[in-house]
Parts: sequence; C-alpha cells; structure tokens
Amino acid sequence: MIELGIEEKTYTLNLGPQHPSTHGVLRVVLEMDGEYITKAEPVIGYGHRGHEHMAENRNYQQFLPNMGRVDYLHALAYNQGYCMAVEKLLGLTVPERGEFIRVILSELNRISSHLVWIGAYLLDLGAFTPILYAFDDRENLLDLLDRITGSRLTYCFYRFGGVPRDLDEEFITGTRAFIKRLRSRFRDYESLVTKNVIFINRTRGVGLITRDQAVKYGLTGPTLRGSGIAYDIRKSEPYSAYPAFDFQIPIGDKGDVFDRYLVRILEMEQSLRIIEQALNQLPNGPIMADKVPKRLKPAAGEVYQAVESARGEFGCYIVSQGDLKPYRIKLRVPSFGNLSILPEVAVDTLVADLVAILGSVDVVIPEIDR
Amino acid sequence: MLKDKLKTALASLNLAQVSDGDYARTGYHLEVAAGPGQMPAVAQAMLDQGCFLESLTAVDLRESFTLVYHFASFDELCRTVVHASLTKETKEAKGAQAPTISLVYPGADWYEREVYDLFGIKFAGHPNLKRLLLPEDADFHPLLKDFGAEPGND
Amino acid sequence: MEAKTGDPLIRLGLLEEALNLARANSLWPLTFGLACCAIEMMAAGMARFDLDRFGAGVFRPSPRQADLMLVAGTISKKMGPAVVRLYEQMPAPKWVIAIGNCAISGGPFNYPSQYAIVPGADLIIPVDVYIPGCPPRPEAIIEAILMLEEKITKRGRLRKFRDVKG
Repeated sequence: MIELGIEEKTYTLNLGPQHPSTHGVLRVVLEMDGEYITKAEPVIGYGHRGHEHMAENRNYQQFLPNMGRVDYLHALAYNQGYCMAVEKLLGLTVPERGEFIRVILSELNRISSHLVWIGAYLLDLGAFTPILYAFDDRENLLDLLDRITGSRLTYCFYRFGGVPRDLDEEFITGTRAFIKRLRSRFRDYESLVTKNVIFINRTRGVGLITRDQAVKYGLTGPTLRGSGIAYDIRKSEPYSAYPAFDFQIPIGDKGDVFDRYLVRILEMEQSLRIIEQALNQLPNGPIMADKVPKRLKPAAGEVYQAVESARGEFGCYIVSQGDLKPYRIKLRVPSFGNLSILPEVAVDTLVADLVAILGSVDVVIPEIDR
Repeated sequence: MLKDKLKTALASLNLAQVSDGDYARTGYHLEVAAGPGQMPAVAQAMLDQGCFLESLTAVDLRESFTLVYHFASFDELCRTVVHASLTKETKEAKGAQAPTISLVYPGADWYEREVYDLFGIKFAGHPNLKRLLLPEDADFHPLLKDFGAEPGND
Repeated sequence: MEAKTGDPLIRLGLLEEALNLARANSLWPLTFGLACCAIEMMAAGMARFDLDRFGAGVFRPSPRQADLMLVAGTISKKMGPAVVRLYEQMPAPKWVIAIGNCAISGGPFNYPSQYAIVPGADLIIPVDVYIPGCPPRPEAIIEAILMLEEKITKRGRLRKFRDVKG
C-alpha cells in the first residue's frame, strides 16, 4: 500500500556519531528533501570529558596535561595559551631562548596538524593516496618532536616560566633537513591535489561563508581566512617571539571550501619560514625563568590569553581567587564557533557537499566538547 | 580608535561601568559592567562597531552568577569584556534567568546552550534552549560550586 | 543449548583451527576513533607502521562488516549506548581491543567527582586485549593485534604450529 505523502516531503537522516567522515564523535541530524539538505543540526557532547570541572579540582600544574588532550592535534598551542595565561597572573617572564623554542615547536606542531587535516579530509572525499604522503611527512616531523618533548601526540612540554629541555644539535640539523624535504613535497601535493580536476569540482563554489556570517558566528582561523579576512592572532595580537619573524597571512578570496584548503597549504609554507628564521636567530641563554615558585598561588583576578592554534583562536580565560586551584577556567576553543555555522551553510547542499564543508571547517570534536 | 568608538557607543546605554582595562595584566582593553537585561543592547552596539563575540561564559560566585562576554574585532586589536551579575533566585522566577543575545549574534546560540547545560542559567527568548554537552536526560549542572567537590586534592 | 557470544555451536576440530588462522590473519577493524588515540590508530594503519601487512588494514565503517572493534579514546556517558549498540551489531566471532588508558579505566579523566565518562570500555562490552598508554605508540597497537592473533589461534606467534604454554 503506497501512500503519496504530499505534505511530508522531507525525511530525517542521521549522520554519526560513528561515521568515517565526521572526524570524531559528531552527530549531524539531517532533514532532507530528496538529495538536498533542508536542515542540518549538529548534536555534540559525545566526547564531553569534563575538562572545566577538572580544572576546578586540580591545581595549576596538575591541569597542564589536560591541555594536551583538549586539542590533541595542536597540543603545544594549548599548552602555550594556558602557560602564558598563568604566567600573566604570576608575573613571570619567559627568557628569550625559551620563547624561541616554544615558537619552533609550536609551528612544527601546526604543520603536523595541517598534515593530518589534509590526509583525513582527502580521505573523506575519497582519495586514498594523499593521506599516505601526508602521514609519511608527519612521521618524519614527529621523530623531531619526539626527540625533544618525549611525546608524539598529546604534548605536555611547556612549563610555567619556559621549557624544561633545550634543543640539541641533532634536532636543529634534523629540522633543517625536514624543512628542505617538506618543501620539495609541496610540489607533489600541488600536482596530486591542488590541480586535481575532481578535487576542484568538488570544492570550488561549495560552502560559501560571507564576512557578515563570520562576524556573527565568531569564526577564526583558516575557516575565517578563506573568506578574505586577515585575522591571525600571531599578527593581530602578537605574543611570545612572533614579532621577531617575517611571515605572511594567506587569505582566500571567495570563501569556499577550496579557498580554505589552499589557506592551510600556504600556512604550512609560512610556518616553515618562521621555523627557519627562528633557527637562524636562536639566541643563547636560559630556557626557564628563574625563581618559579613550587606552590603556585597566582594573584587574584582574571586573565584572557589568546593564541593562534591550527584551527583558530584558542582563548584561555582563568579566574583566580589567589588559591592553589583555579576558581574557573574557560577554554574558548575555535572549533566551537566554527562548527556552529554549519546549520546555516549546509542548507540546500547535497550530502556529499556536506562532507566536504564539514571537513573544510576542520573540527576536532573533543575540543568542542571539552 | 575602536576603543573610543566603543566607549562612545556604550556611553548612551547607561551602564554601570565602562573603563580601560590593564592589557598587560589581564588581556582586556575595555572593561564593561552591565546588568543582564541590558545585554541585548550592548551586543547590538558591539555588532554595529564590527566586533565579534569571542566567548560567552559564566562564573559561579556562590551567592550569584556572573555572565562574562568577550568581544574582539577582526580589524583592530581591542578586546572588550562585559561582566553581567546575575542573582541566583528572584522573587518572580526560581532559577537564574537572563535575556538572550542570540538574536543579535547567532553564534551565541551554542554558547548560551552550554551555559544552560553547565550552570542551569536560562536565557529568555532563546530559540532552542536544550542541553548541549551532557545527555538530554541529565538532571544536574556540573559547574555549579555545590556539585560534588573533591576533598583535599593538593 | 546456550552459547556465549563467539563460541561456535558445532566443533570441527582441525577445520576450526584453520578457520581461526584465517580469522586471525585477516581481522577487519571497525573505524571507531573517539578521541586522541584515534590519531595513533590512523598512524598505525599508514605507511610507516603498516597494519596491512598483518592483514588488519581494511578499516570498515560499518559494524556489519567488521570483526574487530578498536575502542580508541574516552567513552563518554552519552556515547556509551552507541558503543554497546555497535558491538551488538557486529556479527560473531568478534573481538575488542581497548586502546589507551581511557578505554581501559577512564585514564586521566577518572577521578572521584567525574560525571561524564564511562571509566573503562570493559564495563559495557567484553574486551580481549588492553593497550596501555596515553596515547600508546603505533608499535603498541601492532603488538596488540599480534597478541590478539595469538589469542584467536591459541598458538605462539613465531611458530604457528606450536602450542602456547600456560
């Protein structure tokens, strides 16, 4: 018995939380009219681990490892944001060599995050070769980071006042060799992906984000810069050793998925430039501030520290009441705002385009869910 | 200068405090204190000057809540923080309530849902005030100060 | 007649051993990355730490086609029912490897007033191999696959025709 439902033209399709293309445990409830999406509602919270509650029950040093788990792909930026916020409350200054080391490691981590994104994104779009190339480059990079920090993924390397270990000669020569190698690999990425007809057809003109939407939703990072707005904390609100380096902020012009992809590729090149300059200008000196107290009791007050992570602006908001434990820590994560634009951008697209758009926003779900 | 333009725009709203922040110590250029009911007007004034909503959160101060809004701008470095103090219970309504700013800033939609989820603060006029992070049938608000604190972890 | 999940109803002797050898050398994992450990699981499947040479490189998105569930990451209480449902959707014989401290016991997120996670995958589904680490290196994931092969075939790794003692 077939009834022609004339009023009810949409049906509900559930994407996730276990899905190869949702980059973690994200659930998107779609209402579809045939192949076209009329409504897309992300349901999050499947990765909620209670970081902010843990912050209130830990002292400052004990909370430091959590920062690596919030966004595990660019953990060093989160380490840096948190350490800088607490250093502001304590009034500590990190010595110059410590700042340079922080920048070098953080930029290497940014490259590794973008490599994972390229690989996983192209895997979502159906291409299997780029992920092998990207992860191979990433393994070379992780050998360098592993040597200094001891971890491959969830780093907990920065300390309040500086860094605990210095760079050695082998790291520096290894990094220079890596920079040379990655630059030659960019040619491969360009011919394999950027000039690929299928890729261009799937990404050009898809998922347009306007400036007005960017302001209203508070977008940051490459998602924002693809739409032509040159807002990067490293240039707009310089911190650490970034003022000493000369680098550009790549921006797109149309605001579609292809522009966001290109911004990330060009950002990797700019990160290599920063690392090169930092290695050339690396000053001698201590790597850790002297007189860092063992029991940290920051002054009462509040502080907001913003750093640029691979996904956008990470803001660490700490309210301290002068105790050993923070009173409140709020982690302002870029993926939260970036994902909230999905319901608006996904209307009237195909499901395949939804996958392309969702991937181009580069979300890390445990960061959104904290 | 964006800071002066913001000060002029906010001066007409009759707010409790609009003052310069100590950037080196706190990271704010402008510190504003407002009542929760004035927030939609403040948000509209910030949007008219081209600022985006950086973050929206709440702090449980045991006797009251403070809603904390951070605004920044893409074009010029100027971070504004707005503190809105909220009483926990009023004579009219049980449980804290504040008007929503999600009609001005659609991005605030999820932030306000998160604050509702973690603190129990309701936002009047919010189009879709459901829990965001915890399961839909959860019956507690974890970031309240009287929710299961750990004894002596030093 | 009652049968536990994974126990065959009919025993076929030598044929069963051959079947177990085939199953062990061709495990099809389910893509089930929940958090940080998922990236190490992906790295284990990629060029340097190739899982494909052990037969376990064919990651299936659908649980109906998979026989190995790699729980990689923290299971939140909201996600718990989904994990159980996916496990039930997998056809027998099936195995579970818990990757990382979060899947073993809740890991760094297990503390007295934790309200949001399930402290350990084995509270909701039966686990065969545990890999400690936060996150464990891809080599550890490969070791776990080999250990699971030993468990399935009940034979030592190097000499597949020799019984494992003890």
